[in-house]
Amino acid sequence: MSDKNIKSINNINSIISIDPRVTREELSIVPDVDPIKDLHHWQTYEVFHQTKKGDRHLHVGSLHAPNPEMAVILAKEQFARRYKCVNLWVVSTGDVISTGYDNEDIFDTTPEKVYREAGGYKVMERINKFKKERKQST
Amino acid sequence: MYGGGYIFEESKNGQTETDDVNKLENFEARIAAGEKIEPADWMPAEYRKQLIRMIEQHAHSEIIGALPEGTWITRAPGFRRKLALMAKVQDEVGHAQLLYSAAETLGKTREDMINDLITGKSKYSNVFNYPAVTWADTAIIAWLIDAGAIINQVANSKGSYGPYCRALERICVEESFHLKYGHDNVVFLATGTSKQREMVQEALTRWWPPIMHFFGPSDKISVHTETLMRWKVKMATNDDMRQKFLDMYVPKIWELGLVIPDPLLKKNTDSGIWEYTEPDWQEFKRVINGDGPCNQERLAVRRRAEEKGEWVRKALMRTEEKYTVPLS
Amino acid sequence: MKDLNEIQTTAVKDLLYRIADDQLILGHRNSEWTGLGPILEEDIAFSSMAQDKLGQSQALYQLLNQMGEKDPDTLAFTRSVDEYKCCHLVEYPIGEYDFSLMRHFLFDMSEAIRFNMLASSSFEPLAKISRKFKGEIKYHTMHAITWINQLGKGAGDSPVRIQKALDECFPLALGIFEPSDYEDILIENKIFFGEKELHEKWYDTVVPVLKNANLKIPEIKDPEISYGGRKGKHTEYLKPLIDEMTEVYRIDKDAEW
Repeated sequence: MSDKNIKSINNINSIISIDPRVTREELSIVPDVDPIKDLHHWQTYEVFHQTKKGDRHLHVGSLHAPNPEMAVILAKEQFARRYKCVNLWVVSTGDVISTGYDNEDIFDTTPEKVYREAGGYKVMERINKFKKERKQST
Repeated sequence: MYGGGYIFEESKNGQTETDDVNKLENFEARIAAGEKIEPADWMPAEYRKQLIRMIEQHAHSEIIGALPEGTWITRAPGFRRKLALMAKVQDEVGHAQLLYSAAETLGKTREDMINDLITGKSKYSNVFNYPAVTWADTAIIAWLIDAGAIINQVANSKGSYGPYCRALERICVEESFHLKYGHDNVVFLATGTSKQREMVQEALTRWWPPIMHFFGPSDKISVHTETLMRWKVKMATNDDMRQKFLDMYVPKIWELGLVIPDPLLKKNTDSGIWEYTEPDWQEFKRVINGDGPCNQERLAVRRRAEEKGEWVRKALMRTEEKYTVPLS
Repeated sequence: MKDLNEIQTTAVKDLLYRIADDQLILGHRNSEWTGLGPILEEDIAFSSMAQDKLGQSQALYQLLNQMGEKDPDTLAFTRSVDEYKCCHLVEYPIGEYDFSLMRHFLFDMSEAIRFNMLASSSFEPLAKISRKFKGEIKYHTMHAITWINQLGKGAGDSPVRIQKALDECFPLALGIFEPSDYEDILIENKIFFGEKELHEKWYDTVVPVLKNANLKIPEIKDPEISYGGRKGKHTEYLKPLIDEMTEVYRIDKDAEW
């Protein structure tokens, strides 16, 4: 594609773009640009989305916002603009406490803990034996 | 949308650092077993570096990708197209947001990434250095570039890094709207008046070379590429994706009576492989290195957007609070 | 009210054109920020609201179409500039984000009240549409109030910028309430409470928000300073906007896009 869409006007040196929005900005071409030194990081918030009442809120992502009030306003369009939603939560990322994956092994528990599972309680045999004995004694 | 033809950096000695042999073995075993890696997990430094690079390029491609189509946002003809184009360009910005968040989990802040974008330090998909000359270009972009992006993203969504996969899942759902919208738009032009047909044919002719460039040159078979594929950072070779794209879309282009500007393009009936004129990789390199028709404009626009937004971000900064890396 | 008589029909159509043209032009203006907003998250939110505006204007043109006017695309894309009835506020270029936000605040606050009034209109098709817009507009005003409040109290030159934007937008916003020739008919027939009442309610609503944001309400000597739009007299900005908006549409008048 040889047709250049950027024309430098000698004395103005601003970009004439096919995009009228860009032309209106009167941008000049600067070959070398310094990075922005003064970075402004807003906070990050974690977003939880509830599809309908009765459902759980599910984590759907995170966003940048300066405060919780603004986070809710901004989360609404980024995370619920086309998904059905009745309620959003935002939580400051820094407030989330996590177990950490290096502690993943704390969830590996010994398999002998049948006393806290339904399958660990099998009394039918005992009942049947008891019923049989009673019948015999009467 | 638009993550194609990533440029991976070759590590200097051609090998990856082995931070810790046992940890590395465990890491590779997990990936081989189909497990995902999460932000706080141990990972080789090289894995982190390449992922940041890839996700960052993808995010930049979204935000820069909003510009060629944005060229026509104030001129879309009729309510239906006007609303759809607005929603589509908005989605690209939304995708950038999701992808920057995913990259942030690896330890590079969004602002640092944007800084690297506007100073030309980090790259984005080369196709966006070409102009959308007419309305029909936006139709071709929305259909065919997004189609290419979907092939790429569907492959990548099966990769190994959890946050990137989750972002891509969400993105792919939205891309399917883009593809349908783009196809609908091209069909209306191709089946419309002679003027419309002419517009869309010209746009296709303009965009075919960048589309062929989109997936990047054939991969060099190197230890490096093999490692990235073993780590499920790179999920398919550039040629495989290009073949898949041609297989799916060339028939759809032909059925509209449009002419693809490559006389050699045909599917070899024996091998099932598409044959085509080798894209001009010299031009590809030249454009990536800054000498494309729109490189300067794209970066200048992005810079201006950052400058114009600076006072807003500054106004609401709370200096007493520190930035936290997003969770996932 | 069942059927409108001739003069009532004219009055309703005039009202619909005013509302729909405002929304079309402001939606168009605000869409210019898409991809260029001050931060990604806000870029997305602002684009959604611009889409809402255009969608709402389309619905109102559709209603006009049902009342015998042309179809929405023809109405939006083929009229000459003096046929538009939008107010001057919506015509101005986007400027800096402070200007765009302040315009969004002042306009959408009036819109929320307008549609709230119209929700009980005796002209049922309009009442029905107005009720349908309620959720979208509620979000717009939440968004606008939050931003104005925070930037008015923000750091750096933010308060100065927002005050300046208010000083520019406030006189223009009064043009929203330029009365039509049919005010009495609309009011008598309980179709609409009228621009005067809307203006008063709007004032009572925006002033506390602005004061809470530490902003000073500009003194306006001539409340009619920005009138004219409703009668087809526009600023210099509208014609280039319409030319740009309809550029592709005009390429081929037989085309279906």
